[in-house]
Amino acid sequence: MIRSGFLRQASASVAMLAVVTLALGFGYPLAVTGISQLFFRHQANGSLIYAHGKLAGSALLGQSFADAKGNPLPRYFQPRPSAAGTGYDGASSGASNLGPSNPLLIGFVAGVNTVGLDGQPSVANPFATPADPACVPLDPGGNPVTSPAPGQRYAKTASGAYECDPNTIPERALAYRLFNNLPAGAAVPVDAVTASASGLDPDISVANALDQVPRVARARHLPVSRVLALVHQYTSAAQWGFLSEPAVNVLELNLALDGQR
Amino acid sequence: MNVTGWQQLLLVCAVTAVLAPLLGRYLAATFRGGAAPGDRIFAPVERAVYRVLRVDPESSMTWQVYAIAVLVFGLLSSLLLYAILRLQGVLPLNPARAPGMSPLLAFNTAISFITGTNWQAYEGETQASYLGDMAGLVVAQFTAAAVGLAVALAVVRGLAGSSRRIGNFWADLTRSLVRVFVPLSILGALVLVSQGAVQNFTGFRTASTLAGASQQIPGGPVASMEVIKLLGTNGGSMYGAGGAHPFENPTGFTNLFELLLVIVLPFAIVFMFGRLIGRRRQALAIVAVMAVIFLGHTMVAMQAELHGNHLLPASVSQLASGTSPGGNMEGKETRFGPSGSALMTVGTMGTTAGATDSALDSYTPVGGTASFVAILLGEISPGGDGGGLYGILVLALLSVFIAGLMVGRTPEFLGKKIRAPQMKLIVAYVLTIPVVVLVFGSMSAVLGAGTRSILNPGMHGLTEITYAYASVAQNNGSAFAGLAANTPWYDITLGITMLIGRFAPIILALAIAGSLAGARVHARTRATLDTAGPTFAAFLTGVIVIVGGLIYFPMLILGPVGERIVG
Repeated sequence: MIRSGFLRQASASVAMLAVVTLALGFGYPLAVTGISQLFFRHQANGSLIYAHGKLAGSALLGQSFADAKGNPLPRYFQPRPSAAGTGYDGASSGASNLGPSNPLLIGFVAGVNTVGLDGQPSVANPFATPADPACVPLDPGGNPVTSPAPGQRYAKTASGAYECDPNTIPERALAYRLFNNLPAGAAVPVDAVTASASGLDPDISVANALDQVPRVARARHLPVSRVLALVHQYTSAAQWGFLSEPAVNVLELNLALDGQR
Repeated sequence: MNVTGWQQLLLVCAVTAVLAPLLGRYLAATFRGGAAPGDRIFAPVERAVYRVLRVDPESSMTWQVYAIAVLVFGLLSSLLLYAILRLQGVLPLNPARAPGMSPLLAFNTAISFITGTNWQAYEGETQASYLGDMAGLVVAQFTAAAVGLAVALAVVRGLAGSSRRIGNFWADLTRSLVRVFVPLSILGALVLVSQGAVQNFTGFRTASTLAGASQQIPGGPVASMEVIKLLGTNGGSMYGAGGAHPFENPTGFTNLFELLLVIVLPFAIVFMFGRLIGRRRQALAIVAVMAVIFLGHTMVAMQAELHGNHLLPASVSQLASGTSPGGNMEGKETRFGPSGSALMTVGTMGTTAGATDSALDSYTPVGGTASFVAILLGEISPGGDGGGLYGILVLALLSVFIAGLMVGRTPEFLGKKIRAPQMKLIVAYVLTIPVVVLVFGSMSAVLGAGTRSILNPGMHGLTEITYAYASVAQNNGSAFAGLAANTPWYDITLGITMLIGRFAPIILALAIAGSLAGARVHARTRATLDTAGPTFAAFLTGVIVIVGGLIYFPMLILGPVGERIVG
């Protein structure tokens, strides 16, 4: 009786799997694709942007504005740091997943996660440099060292200070000020030094864009007011006033800048 | 919380308060038996399905047969999905040339989607083909959700009905799909596409970036998967970044829409329960408990993430303003900001969806704990489709028993007496998941095979491990994603955990319902404990918090609480 119960349920299961695989596995997505392509063709295909007849990207995906060596180009507004592949890799979306007290994210913060040269917990950060008290040192190969051990070799600058992992938030803040000619200790918008969840964030905050205006204007020999006007033009207000944060789409803004030439 | 956060939260609450009772009414009319709305369209489809299945939808099953049907269907679905994932490399619709999955990865992924967990040990963009996504994973997302709803219906019939039989699994499954999940999915997918979610079959396109490099732009039938991932409280995305990816969740509107897709249906199922048993006050009491817990973990996380990470240098401005979202922005999207991110991500944590629009591993210790606690409390705020209802009903039975002991009355729920046989099953239900989570979690914290996968050192590492087991045991599937989970140890143990976490509660809930099915219904007297009033609702909330809290408290102290204190 139990055995026949099993067999009856098994035959119904097999039939059900055939039905759902055909109807839901093929019929449903094809129907949604058909209707989408009919009514929302632009969105369904990825909100693609073409420049000079070539595919330049998607309005919804951020992209890198760095040269072949990875140095940011001063004439373009710079997006947020990205953890997708080597940066804005569309085939490898994702976040850094670094925890809030991980030295790779916040550096060695005294009394929180600092360790001595022997790798044991210590009160102060022995790798602190004059510029960066939270410095995380690099080994000669350029990899960050978070668990030092006796005998470990470190990369040093010409002046003898430790070279620091450039991807911690304190180091990113230093680099952001240097790149944008901001005074030492100037406030840095948090989105400018943190990686997004997708690694493909198309936006930066308005504050971040405003900080970059003078640099971009100088690199392009444009009046600051003209660049500023473009930033305002490409700032999207919060959807319905509160559904999203105000933001600046970096790719659209940079495309508009290129159009100014 | 700031003004934006309050406005978003209020909108979500208001829309849920309007839609859930309406949808609950529709569900009750659909599953009461007899004529139902939309019969002219749906009934012929259902009759065709029954003909193919060769089942009689009117023949009601005992709880044992119902459970066997659930298990056999789950087993055969897993085998089919396993085969598709193994073979996807040689099957068509594979523009990104994803290879067939390895045996262990396919095992883990198949179980993960059949159980509605949607833990993703694979890389979305490159390790799953469009065929694997559509015909394999999406189908599993539909059936997992419909099975959950079917089981809930059977449990309700057992608890409240007068018959020994608790319904026909195939009829419940078919009706759930035809009348609930498919129509709502088509509508929802089109809303998502209109906002910018993609839906195509083009594979990767190569763009020439302004800086002179190239970028791969992904494609795929994304919206059709995104919607059932959410509506079915599944959680598994086409892309690695999940609900944070701009092609899955393009705007602030879709962000809240996706949260609503997750939570409205589980609330509606409770309203349906109230109508089916003819006691709508009982449903209101349960909804109130769910809502209080939902607001608790969601608001704590929103506040914590807006407040930011106090370990950053003071010169990094985390203050929210008109020109900057502020807050803890590591692992969050600019368009959502800290409030919208925490609302969507932690708002779904009390369901089995675990759909995220931000990286949980980078949440502040307080925000991360809020999401952890939502899972540990058993996912009843408002829970998965169906699972939320039968989960909280079992806890209500436990509460009735405890309350009965305190005041010296025979415990009674919906007029049926709760006795020793039921209590044994209830205790087994409450303890199964914690035992699995804590045993596997402890083993992983000691064995090299477990600790090698940790990304973040120290206390955060323990959180990564235990979160993984708790998340999959509750079929949530969200992750502190730093943990490198595609290793033999994690593929196998997490797979086993998912199976137990899904099917043990289903069998036990059906057994409890079966043992009460056909039991005598006692008339209500003045001595009957009122299970629909505010006193009982408060008592039930307390039992949920204490049971969850006592079991997991030591682990929470060693993990996120410790991290907050030391940091």
